[in-house]
Amino acid sequence: MSSAAQPAGRQWRGSPLAPSWQKGYLLASPALIAMIAILIYPLAYSFIMSFYRWDLSAPSQYFVGLSNYRDTWNSLGFQQTLRVQLLFSAVTITVEVIAGIGVAVLVNSKLRGLRLARTLLLVPPMIAPAVVGLNFRWLFNGQYGLVNGISRYLGLPEAPWLSDPNWALASVMIADIWQNTPLLVLLFLAGLQSLPQEPIEAAQVDGASPWGIFWHITLPLMRPIIMIALMLRIIDTFRTFDVIWLMTQGGPGGATSVITVNAYQLAFQGASFGHAAAVSYIALFLSLLALAVLYGAPWLHRKIRRAL
Amino acid sequence: MTDTALGWRPRHRRRPKLRDGITAGLVIRYAVLIGTVLLTIFPLVWLVITSLRTRADIFAVPVHILPDSVTFTQYVDVFSQYGLNDYLWNTIIVSVATVVLVILCAVPCAYAMARFRLPGAKVVVSILLIMRMIPVVALAIPLFAVFASIGLLDTLTALVLAHTASKLPVAIWLLMGFIQDLPKEIEESAQMDGASTLRILVQIVSPLIAPGIGATAVITFLFTWNDLLIALTLASSEASQTLPVGLTNFVSQFGIDWGAMSAAGVLMVIPTLIFVWFAQGLLVKGLVTGAVRG
Repeated sequence: MSSAAQPAGRQWRGSPLAPSWQKGYLLASPALIAMIAILIYPLAYSFIMSFYRWDLSAPSQYFVGLSNYRDTWNSLGFQQTLRVQLLFSAVTITVEVIAGIGVAVLVNSKLRGLRLARTLLLVPPMIAPAVVGLNFRWLFNGQYGLVNGISRYLGLPEAPWLSDPNWALASVMIADIWQNTPLLVLLFLAGLQSLPQEPIEAAQVDGASPWGIFWHITLPLMRPIIMIALMLRIIDTFRTFDVIWLMTQGGPGGATSVITVNAYQLAFQGASFGHAAAVSYIALFLSLLALAVLYGAPWLHRKIRRAL
Repeated sequence: MTDTALGWRPRHRRRPKLRDGITAGLVIRYAVLIGTVLLTIFPLVWLVITSLRTRADIFAVPVHILPDSVTFTQYVDVFSQYGLNDYLWNTIIVSVATVVLVILCAVPCAYAMARFRLPGAKVVVSILLIMRMIPVVALAIPLFAVFASIGLLDTLTALVLAHTASKLPVAIWLLMGFIQDLPKEIEESAQMDGASTLRILVQIVSPLIAPGIGATAVITFLFTWNDLLIALTLASSEASQTLPVGLTNFVSQFGIDWGAMSAAGVLMVIPTLIFVWFAQGLLVKGLVTGAVRG
């Protein structure tokens, strides 16, 4: 057994475990088989479906090439969905990340009750989005809801929260921001606590203002964790369904119909599986594109700066 | 404070300035902390308050914060009128079965991925990461067609299978991280003593990564418990519907029974609160390290 003497990372070579990759795959096989059968096969199936005319009502399916994608892309409904989705993602992600950083930086010191606050902050991201959706639907109820009740009490005009297209979009954004900002606060707090303290202390000794320290030292140091937060939120806003489905079902008039809501309606209310599959693959493609831009942007920026 | 930032004030005057700044800063910090906590919990407190109001009180105008009287009838109604028992049982069965299957499949798989020199392991790991990005609706639509063709639609088995497969990538990913953090020496010495791979996994590795298994189990449980889309798609009759789908049933053509809906919502949130309270460390570790590794 020479393996123990070998440097880390290489120690399995020559050990009895090394040649037994068959045993490894045997151990992995239950999970791999489950994922291939119930995850990868259906996804491949729906990818193929997206090139077929595939209605639940029609008895036969036939190949239509890219026409599901073309129809979808050109349809008014999808163009609205795309606008709604991009606006929803842009606004919620911007607000959540900025609020998350702000709160995390401000409470990141020895405050009484911070431990309890951290526990409470874990609650919104962990509770069912369906409950969040119905609860905010109740809060934003035009006649009996608390939000308009407070407006009335303060003598402010009441807002048509869920009945007006623009207000409805704002309502679902608020619900999403309420549910997801706390997780980002926790993520940024964990990130802040792993930052090196020397540069910040050195700047304090030199008499830098708190804002200067935040802007020139903390924020650049936090860049990796901010990228992770952006990545997580981009992925999840393109997957969002539950809160919107319970608050508005995509209405009024499609004003809150994000991509997954649109796909669900096409499949199970319009019974057009081919179109629905095309829409869900466009959603995946768009979130991949957004991630590529996110990771490509600093690189491009550097390249442009170097060129100048 | 801004004066010092401009840098023209003599150094020796910084000290009293800084102390004032810290006091003002502390006030701001506490204000932000308290404000954040209030904003976080108030909508949930309102849910509880609504669930305890009488019907007349719920539709009272103007809205008042405290209920006129406290009643638990809504909590009785959700069981007697809305059949919450069935939804509750279905959700418990599906969530528990999913957690058991996910852990049984994910632990050996994560061990193999982390410790064996598997050909193609990198491909498998990158597929796991892509799976995390797939919109659930992209999976739910073809699963509906697949399960319909083999007659599994509208069964709890279908829900368990769908949840197990869709939660596996994240579970494997989380567990791999915990296994990679273990020193290899313990396993190697066990191996030299002649222990079989399975025995090493069950008797040595699993106890060492118990916190990781716990975090993975809690996260899997909560995401299955909370799921709406898979259940909405695959379970059409009340025999296999879960609590989140049950919530959508409170929205009828005659309007919404807000009190009963809130009571059901409160009941549905209770397991989450219990896990958050008792396993917050595990949850944060699982979510944050899972996120950071991703």
